[in-house]
This record gives sequence, structure tokens and C-alpha cells, in this order.
Amino acid sequence: MPRIALARYVAAALLATCFAAPAFADDAKGDPKVGHALVYTCGGCHGVTGYRNAYPNYRVPRIGGQNYDYLVNALTEYKKGERAHPTMRAQGESLSDEDIRNIAAYLSSITLSSSAK
Amino acid sequence: MKSIFVIASLTFGLACNALAAEGGAAPGKSAEELSKTCAACHGADGNGTNAQYPRLAGQYHDYLQRALQEYKNGERQNAIMKGFASTLSEADIDALARFYADKPGTLDDLSHHQQGND
Repeated sequence: MPRIALARYVAAALLATCFAAPAFADDAKGDPKVGHALVYTCGGCHGVTGYRNAYPNYRVPRIGGQNYDYLVNALTEYKKGERAHPTMRAQGESLSDEDIRNIAAYLSSITLSSSAK
Repeated sequence: MKSIFVIASLTFGLACNALAAEGGAAPGKSAEELSKTCAACHGADGNGTNAQYPRLAGQYHDYLQRALQEYKNGERQNAIMKGFASTLSEADIDALARFYADKPGTLDDLSHHQQGND
């Protein structure tokens, strides 16, 4: 009987893997749930409405709801040092390519209606 | 007396040139006219859906202004954007930045999206 139970578990696990497979195929695009946990640091500047960059003085961009590929490119450019902003370069350097995709997936998933909460 | 006229007309001519340079290549163009170039990638209302390009609608105008200035002066490297930004005067950049900042869009800061919120 335990052997049958084990077989059932194995079968169930295999079946679950099959159904889960399409989700894994999307992994290349980043997981918004994982990204959500990573944006905590971003909020220090991008989560303060009207927060200003100093020298030169301008407001840091609104990044919620921005397009996915653009965000991946921007963070990757900071990581590689191709975009100059010192704080953002430091952030970019601390992120793996997978982190960047996850963050971009979360940020691009934000909508104004979700921000009303 | 004649030389005074020559000097006066030369000065006037130089002043005109300087004003023309200040106004950029297209001093009379409105932001709406200028934005027609941007529309191909960013959408007519700044809400372009090609994920490769950023949404501009509702972005802070001073961030957009800064971005265009950086493209123009080479601090931010992008072959396409450098080409466009280098044709813009400071007044054009300011007008375009305000044009897109005023458009309704979906961009938001993260004040409602910290860890622990939705």
C-alpha cells in the first residue's frame, strides 16, 4: 500500500511538472512576484512622490507601469556602466540579469488602478 | 558717419544670427509639431506599446527634459535619440518634455507599491 501511495505521489509530481512547464517557459521574461520582493530598495527614491535627484536637480522618473524591455535595457546599461548615474550604477551592479528581469516584470505589471489601493 | 552704419548693421546681423541659433533649427515649431517625430516609437500620446521604448506620458517633465539634454550632450548614449535630440533647442526640449508630461498615462511612482503593499 505504501508503495502504491509513493507511486501516486510520483505520478502526481510528474503530472504537476507537465502542467507547470508552460510557466517555466515564461521564466526568461522575469517573475513579477520575485521582482516585487526586490523593489524594496527602489522605493527609497522612486517610491517617494516628487523625489528629486540632486546635482543636477530633477525629479527621479516614475518607473511603475514602464515598459518591460525598456526597464531591462535601462538596468542592464546601468549595470554595465553605459548609463552614468552613480546611484543607479551601484544598484545595477548589485543585480543579476535574472534580478533585472524579475524587477522589470514587476514594475511593468503595475497599473494605475492597482496604485489606488 | 558711414562707418557707424556699417558697424550698426553688422551688429544687428550678428544679433539676428545669435537669436536664430538660440531658437534652434525650428524656432517656430510647437511641441505638437515636434512630437510627430517621437510618435513613431513612443506613440502619438506618449503611451507607445512597443516594450523596447519607454512610455513618456505622465512622466515628470524635468526627468524627460534631463533625458533629452543628456542625449543631446552625449552623457546618455543612444544613436537614435542623439540624432533627434541634437536638433532640438533648449526651448524645444522644455516644450516637448511638458507636452508628454501633461499627457494622461499609466506611469506611477512606487509609493503604493512597496514591499508589503499589493
